[in-house]
Amino acid sequence: MNRPLATRLSRLAQYGFLGALFLFIATPMLVIVVFSFDANRFPTIPWGGFSLEWHRAILDDPMIRDAFVNSVLVGLGTAVASTVLGFAAAYIDFRYRFRLKLPFVLLVAVPPAVPATILGMAMLAFLSRLGLFGRLETIMACHVAIATSFSMAIIRLRLNDLSRDLEPAAWNLGASPAAALVHVVLPFCKPALIASFFLSAAVSFDEFLIAWFVGGVHETLPVRILNLLQGQVNPKINAVGTVVLVVSVALVLIAQRFTGVRAGRRTPTS
Amino acid sequence: MTAASVTTRASAPQRWSWLGRPRMAGSPAVLPAVLGLPVLLWQAVFFAAPLVFLVVMTFWQVKAFRLEPAFVLDNWSRILFSATFQRALVHTFAVAGTTTVLAVALAFPAAYTIAFRLSPRMRDLAVAFLVVPVFSSYMLRIYAWQIVLSPEGMVNALLGGIGIEPLPLLGGAFSLQVGLLTLTLPIAVLILVFAMAGIDRTLIEAAENLGCRRARVIAHVIAPSVRPAIMLSATTSFLLAFGDYISPLFMTGSKPPTLSILIVDTVKSGSQWPRASVIGVAMLVMLALVLGIGQWLSSGRTARRGAAR
Repeated sequence: MNRPLATRLSRLAQYGFLGALFLFIATPMLVIVVFSFDANRFPTIPWGGFSLEWHRAILDDPMIRDAFVNSVLVGLGTAVASTVLGFAAAYIDFRYRFRLKLPFVLLVAVPPAVPATILGMAMLAFLSRLGLFGRLETIMACHVAIATSFSMAIIRLRLNDLSRDLEPAAWNLGASPAAALVHVVLPFCKPALIASFFLSAAVSFDEFLIAWFVGGVHETLPVRILNLLQGQVNPKINAVGTVVLVVSVALVLIAQRFTGVRAGRRTPTS
Repeated sequence: MTAASVTTRASAPQRWSWLGRPRMAGSPAVLPAVLGLPVLLWQAVFFAAPLVFLVVMTFWQVKAFRLEPAFVLDNWSRILFSATFQRALVHTFAVAGTTTVLAVALAFPAAYTIAFRLSPRMRDLAVAFLVVPVFSSYMLRIYAWQIVLSPEGMVNALLGGIGIEPLPLLGGAFSLQVGLLTLTLPIAVLILVFAMAGIDRTLIEAAENLGCRRARVIAHVIAPSVRPAIMLSATTSFLLAFGDYISPLFMTGSKPPTLSILIVDTVKSGSQWPRASVIGVAMLVMLALVLGIGQWLSSGRTARRGAAR
């Protein structure tokens, strides 16, 4: 294809700009992973040689091990609970009309938009009055309040593709509304449910401010990192960071694999 | 369409029975209640109630380090008229405003390239790549910037290699914006990519057939049709930057403090919960105002343009 020089230069500038932007987004992640294998105490250039010292050090650190276990427990609980609640909310939005529906949907949708500092402080102040401060279950419950928003969005998007006639057909064949829900709607939503499970787990695994506020002595992994960061430069941080990064990136990628959202092949419904 | 209109329920096959016989399902309101109440309760207890309590707490008092119910306006007047709060407010607005402008200005051309210049396969990859950082490891990425930009960090080591004096990259407005753009850029680009990919291509072809150059197509076809997305991208960036705690903490060492930093400091020092909640509630009110203005701008503008034609 013979394009004018100006067009080719413009294309080159566009691709160059996009590449620079992607590099800006990728650099910090690469830095964490690459320097976790660096033998130097302080991560900088020149590279101090390959070493697994820091990865081994985090395995021997009981606080980091505990934090990892806590994060996994909280993440799993959040994933299950927010997928169940997110499905319920999405189905109600899909199937029913009632007054106060907008406030109901907003109550589920809005939490991620509230700055975590404010929400964490509010949750701590309120939940400690109920005697719920400093428990893993509380961290999970608060993470669910945020993650359900994403679950609802993913599942609601899937329900858009469910024919409005399918459920009535099941009812006519004698299924109760609950049976139609279990045998018709749930199977149809399976990919979205899987996506929601992994995305909520990622949201929980990555959240640190609320966990920091309401967790008390129970540290999740990001909270452990936050506490390490506020101390001296510690080469363990890169190694823990690599673990967190790999886990959360994997969770998000799996979640994406199961959502049908593609830019351009379908017009966004809003 | 309601379940009540179904006539053959009585002869339901036996296999559904473990879920209760159809008649037992009761009135049509049972299922939505069973589904909806847990969600409602959960969000009420763990989201709405804490925020309501936050507002209530702004009127309470701290006596001998204990929080006591009261109705005083003292917390509000002390915070709103304090110079520290006012400085932090102006600073936070300036910082978040700068981030918003930068994020949208950088995101627009990038989204344009992704939506119109990449093959569908590459576009999917780009979207996948941008979604990952939205949900992962923000704090770690800020830590990474901290070690990259620090005085003895990578950038300065590279600059030193070609004989340039170390630059004070960390601890100022520059590093703060690097941190906040790390937070906002991926999502700002994604919002615009989805909007641009949804534009009707025939509109663009029509404009081109009528002799429009690319710049005119962008200014008169693409930009107007994604205006709501531009506003959404801007308000999202503002929201994230305005409330962020990590970038100010690690990229500037909390100096000067933003409102989020001020909240945490107020809680930490002498458990001044009521005053911290005043700052929190004030922030939420201002965010709601900004979002409202954004909404008004994106709907109002298009309506006015439509009327002018």
